[in-house]
Amino acid sequence: MVKKIAVYGSYEAKVPVRQRFWKRRRNGIRQRYWKRTSRMKIAEMKGRYEFHGKGKDLYKAVVKAHHLMPKGFVDVSAEEFLRHPEKYGFEGEWIDREVKS
Amino acid sequence: MASRVSGLTGKSKANPILGYSDTETVKLDFDDASFRIARYWAERTSRWFRLRGFIILKSSKNHYHVVFDRVVAWAQNVRIVAWVALLSHNKGLARWLPMQCIKGCSTLRVSSKREKLPPRIVCRHGKLDRNVENFLKYRKMIKKNS
Repeated sequence: MVKKIAVYGSYEAKVPVRQRFWKRRRNGIRQRYWKRTSRMKIAEMKGRYEFHGKGKDLYKAVVKAHHLMPKGFVDVSAEEFLRHPEKYGFEGEWIDREVKS
Repeated sequence: MASRVSGLTGKSKANPILGYSDTETVKLDFDDASFRIARYWAERTSRWFRLRGFIILKSSKNHYHVVFDRVVAWAQNVRIVAWVALLSHNKGLARWLPMQCIKGCSTLRVSSKREKLPPRIVCRHGKLDRNVENFLKYRKMIKKNS
């Protein structure tokens, strides 16, 4: 059965600011939309990696996870994470905050 | 998922928390419980469900983790933890259980967390050559990383 290593906590990262706008539909309903602006803000978020795989890959993945913040809840094999780290994480910084297991 | 927007100033660099997750090892997380209580429930659970053996780790003052040795299915694992949570009236354990059910596997911390040190072993009991051995192997690897 799969044994996993969990890497989790709070982090700060630069994320694009989203701006809302409305468009009136043909049937008269006002529909809200969001667009990503080019402005960036620093946001505090929580995330978690669940790595499974071979020992050496796990070790490398955990080292890489110290610099790449997870995009939400990421359950991935260590090998796949090492192949495409940008798909599962983005740049940021881990911070000390109270996190429940 | 952003919970709050703030600046980077005045914050220290920190490492993420590292934990060990799986579905087949029975794990308990006792919060606000003395060592005597943790050991009593570990022994009682081990006897009742024939879990071979266990280790108790001290996570911080009055916080203990228990890892059992026998390999069990996830359904049985949840059943055992729920049994202990219900009978022991431990609020921490009762809150920890649904979090693990949502994730679909149970996790125990292995690395340090804020001012807390990594959990250290304070008691060994019975046979420890299956899941406990695996847990200790992974723990060693994770501790090397943190």
